[in-house]
Amino acid sequence: MLSLVLTLAFGLQLSSADASNIPPQKPNVPDGVSALNPGSDLWREVRRRDGVGEFNEVNQGVLVKDLLSEIQRSRQVPQGISQVNQVDSGVMINAKGRRWAAFRMTTLASYSGIALAAIFVIIITFYVVRGKVPIEGGLSGNMVKRFTDYERITHWTLAVVFLLLAITGLILLLGRPLLIPLFGKEAFALLASASKEGHNLFGPLFLVSLIMMLISFARRNIYEKGDLTWLLKGGGLIGKGHASGGFFNMGEKTWYWMVILIGLVISISGLILVSPNFGQGRLIMELMHIVHAVSAMILIVVSVGHMYLGSIGSEGALEGMKTGYVDINWADAHHDRWGKHCHEEDLIVSAEEYARMQGQPADSAEPAMEQGK
Amino acid sequence: MAQMKFYCDAERCIECNACVTACKNEHEIPWGVNRRRVVTIKDGEQGERSLSVACMHCADAPCATVCPVDCFYTTGDGIVLHDKDICIGCGYCFYACPFGAPQFPEQAAFASRGKMDKCTFCAGGPEEDHSSNEYKKYGRNRLSEGKLPLCAEMCSTHALLAGDADVLSDIYRKRVINRGASAFEWGVNQLKS
Repeated sequence: MLSLVLTLAFGLQLSSADASNIPPQKPNVPDGVSALNPGSDLWREVRRRDGVGEFNEVNQGVLVKDLLSEIQRSRQVPQGISQVNQVDSGVMINAKGRRWAAFRMTTLASYSGIALAAIFVIIITFYVVRGKVPIEGGLSGNMVKRFTDYERITHWTLAVVFLLLAITGLILLLGRPLLIPLFGKEAFALLASASKEGHNLFGPLFLVSLIMMLISFARRNIYEKGDLTWLLKGGGLIGKGHASGGFFNMGEKTWYWMVILIGLVISISGLILVSPNFGQGRLIMELMHIVHAVSAMILIVVSVGHMYLGSIGSEGALEGMKTGYVDINWADAHHDRWGKHCHEEDLIVSAEEYARMQGQPADSAEPAMEQGK
Repeated sequence: MAQMKFYCDAERCIECNACVTACKNEHEIPWGVNRRRVVTIKDGEQGERSLSVACMHCADAPCATVCPVDCFYTTGDGIVLHDKDICIGCGYCFYACPFGAPQFPEQAAFASRGKMDKCTFCAGGPEEDHSSNEYKKYGRNRLSEGKLPLCAEMCSTHALLAGDADVLSDIYRKRVINRGASAFEWGVNQLKS
């Protein structure tokens, strides 16, 4: 009876103890001879498992970290070799593919859809509540030059390329759940094929226009004194009254640096994805796809806010990028420090002069422009 | 319905690459595309093993899950096939596949991808059986002629098996029994296997 109780107690204690604390039993075999089943040995090698205790590490934790550690491991210990000379042909099993696929089809696709829907709901709600932000005292008709032709071309090139890339990218990500039920597989395949080719074609153009953007706007987007006050006042979006700003206010500067930095990340990861001929394996591609998609989604969501504020959100703002000139009242209201500078330097083009510049044919408009300056 | 499967016996494969060659020749696969390959693990070390790998025709295929245009389908025999008219050559199936089965012909500059190509279990594709279109896109349709995949048919050591999963597991079970559970004998005994 006593022995039974003891056995039971001992058994319970064993089962409750942490399994990893039990040292693996060493088989009684001569040195140099593996007593393990050769089949399980092979399987362990293929699944990149070093031994007891490492099983738990497989396919757990943060996916990006998982991929990074697997990339590092595959560099140190290549899986196998093959006579077929191709990228990753020596890898018998890519254990991370399934995790990446699950991430793309569930996490990425659903969160992207939610984020897109959310930003549109937020913008519409904001528009309903706040309406178009008017200029105090209305438009004066007196204009001041804000952007050169080169700057406007840079902006719109980047904008058009960005929109094309965003739309084609979203078609490829969300097309299967959203568009295939509508158009059917055959029609959607045409659209998706065009999207893929278009995405690959416009991708490098995005990098070029991004560099143009960096060169032409970087100087004026350096943070300066007064930007913090703008932030503390909520940029004039919250509450009444405009926040003080220079040529660009703090929000515009932050958007600019977001475009440049995130844009560079998107471009570099995109170039790695689009040219598979530099020996980069699947693990790197999976990692780059995650980086590419997540950063692109951030930029797309914020860009909706930028488009809103630059058009229907704020009276007189679109003029600057459309014609290069803005109303002086708009400049005083939104960029008071720059507006003051315009007043001091006498850069204002009167309403009549501006009308003449707009009305006259292009070849005779040149002297008027000179006068305007 | 049969559930078609490949099985490669690591204790028998001698890395002769005949399956690779047979497949390339049978389907006239273009340069740079390999539907099948032999991978050697621990090459030159103790416990070296080779396995012939191609599309394993998964029951829950990750390629089909991840495809942005949904071009994959599973036949009644459990063979995973794809429609090249729908495929856009994005490469995602290659990233998702555990076995590296999807292959892409290099079409233009910077190795831009053409339509995906992979092992069809010698079952052709969605085109009409034995049509020239089917042969051009997917290769020979041996299954409809009542033949099994050529790679397995000509494996000299019978390491690579193809066919109904039940039949294959029976064969493999017998082999394991005959080997006397080599796990306890520290290795492979060729006489017994």
